[in-house]
Amino acid sequence: MKNCVIEIQNLTKYYGNVRGVENISLRLEEGEIFGFIGPNGAGKSTTIRSIMNLINKTSGKVFIENKEFNKNDVEIKEKIGYLPSEICLYDDLTVKEMLDYHEKFYKKNIHKKREELVSVLQLDEKKKIEDLSLGNLKKLGIILAFMHEPKILILDEPTSGLDPIMQNVFYELLKKEKQKGTTIFYSTHILSEVSKICDRVGIIKEGSLIKIEKVDDLLKNSLTFVTLTAKDNKDIIKDMNVDIISEEENTIKFKTNMLHDELIKKISAYKIDRILIEEATLEDLFLHYYQ
Amino acid sequence: MFRREMKVNFKSFLIWTAILVGLFLVVFLVYPSIINSANIQMMDEMMQMFPEEMLKAFNMDISSIDSAFGWLKTEGFVFVLLITGIYSGLLGSNILLKEENDKTIEYLNSVPVTRKSIVLNKIICGILYIVFMVAILSIFNFIGLTLSGNFDKKMYILLSITPIFSSLVIFAICLFLSTFTHKTKKTLGISLGIVFASYFLKIISEMGESTEFLKYISIFTLADIRNVIINVAINPLMVILSIGISIIFMLGTLFRYEKKELV
Repeated sequence: MKNCVIEIQNLTKYYGNVRGVENISLRLEEGEIFGFIGPNGAGKSTTIRSIMNLINKTSGKVFIENKEFNKNDVEIKEKIGYLPSEICLYDDLTVKEMLDYHEKFYKKNIHKKREELVSVLQLDEKKKIEDLSLGNLKKLGIILAFMHEPKILILDEPTSGLDPIMQNVFYELLKKEKQKGTTIFYSTHILSEVSKICDRVGIIKEGSLIKIEKVDDLLKNSLTFVTLTAKDNKDIIKDMNVDIISEEENTIKFKTNMLHDELIKKISAYKIDRILIEEATLEDLFLHYYQ
Repeated sequence: MFRREMKVNFKSFLIWTAILVGLFLVVFLVYPSIINSANIQMMDEMMQMFPEEMLKAFNMDISSIDSAFGWLKTEGFVFVLLITGIYSGLLGSNILLKEENDKTIEYLNSVPVTRKSIVLNKIICGILYIVFMVAILSIFNFIGLTLSGNFDKKMYILLSITPIFSSLVIFAICLFLSTFTHKTKKTLGISLGIVFASYFLKIISEMGESTEFLKYISIFTLADIRNVIINVAINPLMVILSIGISIIFMLGTLFRYEKKELV
């Protein structure tokens, strides 16, 4: 078993009487990319802000490499690279000045990595931050999060604002980080990137983690769409107790959580004219959990 | 972080210092012609017609405006106290809160620094700029007064120091109040209110015995100008009180900021 790098224990956050997140627990192992998905208001940002100690937890603890992460723990902060969803930096500075400023917070020399990232992401250091487009601001945020070569990356919607070419450059950066053993907490609502880059995924709904699973397993086992045409489809609906999506004459479409083997055995009891079995995409799963 | 803080706050420091220096430059340029004219005697006679309480409120009962130094001791220091007070209030309410208002705190919180070090860097920067402002104005006025004629140098030096006491306390109180909100626009009005309310309480407190108690709730009581003019000495109690109150509010700021939700 690999080392546990991030551990969240029973994290709960209430804003007065309003629930932010409730009883969130999860463990991230060294070198894994953990996708954290959920719609707006589900509690993704609250979780991240609690991890980063920007807000006070109502209860619960966050451990980084088995040590509790308190707000003034500078040693742990050095190990974390953080990219917020909305990047707000000092508008009066140029990109170069901002990066110089950032370098001074770290004991080790991080200039070489900075140059490498600036070159890969093609960012003009002479520009003033207030003149940067959303995409370029995001690139600067990525450089700031990555340049001190942290062991942990906490990324909140990192690709929003990046063009498709830069998104691919960014995915390549992530792959390299993963190979180095960096642990990545990746919050997003772009589901295609979760299936592309994440090892595991956590689904958050109304402040609670409703599922944590390997992305492959989630896609394999969770949900199947079946479209079948049969004269006695009324009996099928009744016997199998399935969740109907559409129904038209003798053709029905339904979704089910049954394993494929069990599903085929059950369907084989009927006379079927036509059948189509489809694996759910991550988007389908997302809608399934949230509807 | 400290250098950046100094750089960020330099522009407003320069503007407020320029306002003060500009004001006194005009005084030094205009005053010689006033003194040498016959009007000064008329003005002095006119002053005698004001009620004693009124003159006392502006230190005119113990000082005459027949010289540049005389003016400085009366109206001049009103401007110095008010302008350094307003500057300190705005600086205190803005210096820490700006990071939250501009949402740059999310960045600053992610780099390896403690909250205590963020607050301390900002406090030191604020104190330095207040001291610099008072020092620059003092040097400028010293040169101006020297060119204008004779004056009591010891009294002047002591008078020059006094705005630091009230300004530091205003800075510390406004800094502390800024830990109760996330938006600078909420604190700017309050900080200006504290300065003006304090000043008027001080004026009213000097107008009669029945209102004298008000001086105990005015920050400007700590800038012990009247005592300096009469006794050519600063009351050590005021120094201790200023430093003590400032430290209490700064410690309060550290304590509050440590527990504050930053977004």
